[in-house]
Amino acid sequence: MIEAGADTLRRNSSIVLAFVLAGVLFVAGTIQTTGFASYEHTRTVLITASFVGLVGFGQTLCMLTGGIDLSIPSNLAGAAVLTAFLANGSSAGLIWIVPMVIGLGMVVGLINGLGVAYAGVPPIIMTLGMNSAIQGLLLIYTNGGLASAAPPALVNFVDGNTLGLSTMLLIWIGVALVATVLLSLSAFGRKLYAVGTNIRAALLAGVRVKRVLVVPYVVSGASAALTGVLLLGFLGQAFVNMGDEYLFSSAVAVAVGGASILGGKGHYIGTVAGAIILTLIAANLNLLSLGESAIDISYGVILLATVYLATIRLGRR
Amino acid sequence: MSVSPEAFGPRTPFGRVPRPRFGVADLPLAMAYVYVAVIAGAVFILEPALLDGSGAMGANFSLVVPLALVAFGQTLAMLTRGIDLSVGGVISLSSALLATHLNARGWLLLPELLAIVALGVLIGCLNGLMIAFTPIQPFIVTLATWSIWDGVAFGVLPIEGGTVSPTLVKAASGGFLRVPKSVWVVVLLLLLWRWLRATRFIGDLVAIGSDESRARLLGVRIGRRKLQAYAATGLLAALASIWVTAQTQAGSPDGGDQFILNSVAAVVIGGTSIFGGKGSAASSIMGSIAFLLIPILVFALNLSSFWSIFLEGLVLIVAVTFNSIIQTRARR
Repeated sequence: MIEAGADTLRRNSSIVLAFVLAGVLFVAGTIQTTGFASYEHTRTVLITASFVGLVGFGQTLCMLTGGIDLSIPSNLAGAAVLTAFLANGSSAGLIWIVPMVIGLGMVVGLINGLGVAYAGVPPIIMTLGMNSAIQGLLLIYTNGGLASAAPPALVNFVDGNTLGLSTMLLIWIGVALVATVLLSLSAFGRKLYAVGTNIRAALLAGVRVKRVLVVPYVVSGASAALTGVLLLGFLGQAFVNMGDEYLFSSAVAVAVGGASILGGKGHYIGTVAGAIILTLIAANLNLLSLGESAIDISYGVILLATVYLATIRLGRR
Repeated sequence: MSVSPEAFGPRTPFGRVPRPRFGVADLPLAMAYVYVAVIAGAVFILEPALLDGSGAMGANFSLVVPLALVAFGQTLAMLTRGIDLSVGGVISLSSALLATHLNARGWLLLPELLAIVALGVLIGCLNGLMIAFTPIQPFIVTLATWSIWDGVAFGVLPIEGGTVSPTLVKAASGGFLRVPKSVWVVVLLLLLWRWLRATRFIGDLVAIGSDESRARLLGVRIGRRKLQAYAATGLLAALASIWVTAQTQAGSPDGGDQFILNSVAAVVIGGTSIFGGKGSAASSIMGSIAFLLIPILVFALNLSSFWSIFLEGLVLIVAVTFNSIIQTRARR
């Protein structure tokens, strides 16, 4: 087991690099202002990163198979708006509402996955269409997406601490553990990498390729919906556009974390580093009083640079 | 996937070959006409004034123009097995510039419009350079540049508004020879495709999309052709932005984003193969018309406008699934 872990690390030197970059950005922020490295600010940065990190779980699996999930924004917003709408300010119904919206997210993911795996639809177009369809359904159902505030229990849960640590961070650590077991230690993880590396070879080796291709989209639906519910608690309200920024940041976090967009290479641990890097970049740019514009530009440049470096490194081997 | 010379109608690297007979694989390209006929027929039965009322033609076509322009360019990218998501960024940035710095009155506007078009070409060339000469996929390159140019657009014009040159507004409204100008633009685009489809340029793009390594062996200059394709896409997106900005009389730093889904949907509904090598900008223009008929149908059915967002996504999913199944079969 330890050897397997060490081997994973060796094969994914880019993940180590990503953590080094995160460290550099943290130091850069600390040099700019003294409060940057304080416990409170570090906690805020990590919690902000955790939302990118959580949607990044599904996105990582999709990208490992050479796909992508662009339906994350409306899936996330859908779960949040629906939860706020159904709960209607009370916390009593959360017991059944939360599993239900996550289940709905999985259904959306299942449709994506079936289209990609069985009908041969390119993931970009399948999930782009799904994003619009879900957003439309959401607007129809809520008549414009104006929902009431988040249930107080959810707000307390997300803002609160468990065992002295932020609950959000504990959830993120839990997801990271599940992801690591799934990717590094399970048979399914091996199949996922096999399909992402060479789909024909995987098929010939007896992997049920189509089934394996469906799973990442179902997981992505679930992780986007879960993130939506938690983000509802974090922001205290839900709105139809709340997921938009996660379309780009989830994909960039996975790419920055060293995964190959072509599939077959990468790990969720890299995405964790990627999510932290993106959040630190935004925090650093805010310190320089550069707003949304600079963040959009820098994310684009980073995406190009990391994918370029990853592909030329892949080419050399 | 094999490339048979029969797959090509126009002048190709293989020389001139007869146009192929209509096969099952061509079905998606014909579907756009069916979609338009069915949806327009339904609207005509429910609420004919939405199509033939006074001024309805001009108003409807004035929405078709920008989408047809972007979808035309998107078709070129998709012929090479690529995609251009950065059209959203190009449109947003051009629109922001037209509402702030480039809004002169009278003839002085002309060089400014040329500058916008040149900017579109330049952005397209940058995409093309990265797509042609680095191993990064078109989808990632243009996803990144979409974010970059959207960011620049937000820097130029933080919120919707600004002032658009009244000369531009006037130039893009009204009619010519008693036909709305918007209809003329669409007709011109169809004629442009009629001419373009028989050229070596499109033949090369088709060859690249069908089998890139085979095309290389046949002497197609792949890098140069891809560069030209994305430059043309950028140019057409800039033209679309000029039209939209003139119609809305305001700049919008994120107004281009909707054109990403819409143009991909128009091209897919038009039946251009998502696997490259087969397609038609004329069908994409029909796809644009079909796509823009959806909100009109929703209005005619007296449903809330939110239904059109749902139906637009649904139609894209259904069309792409249908095309994928047929095209995957045909490739076997």
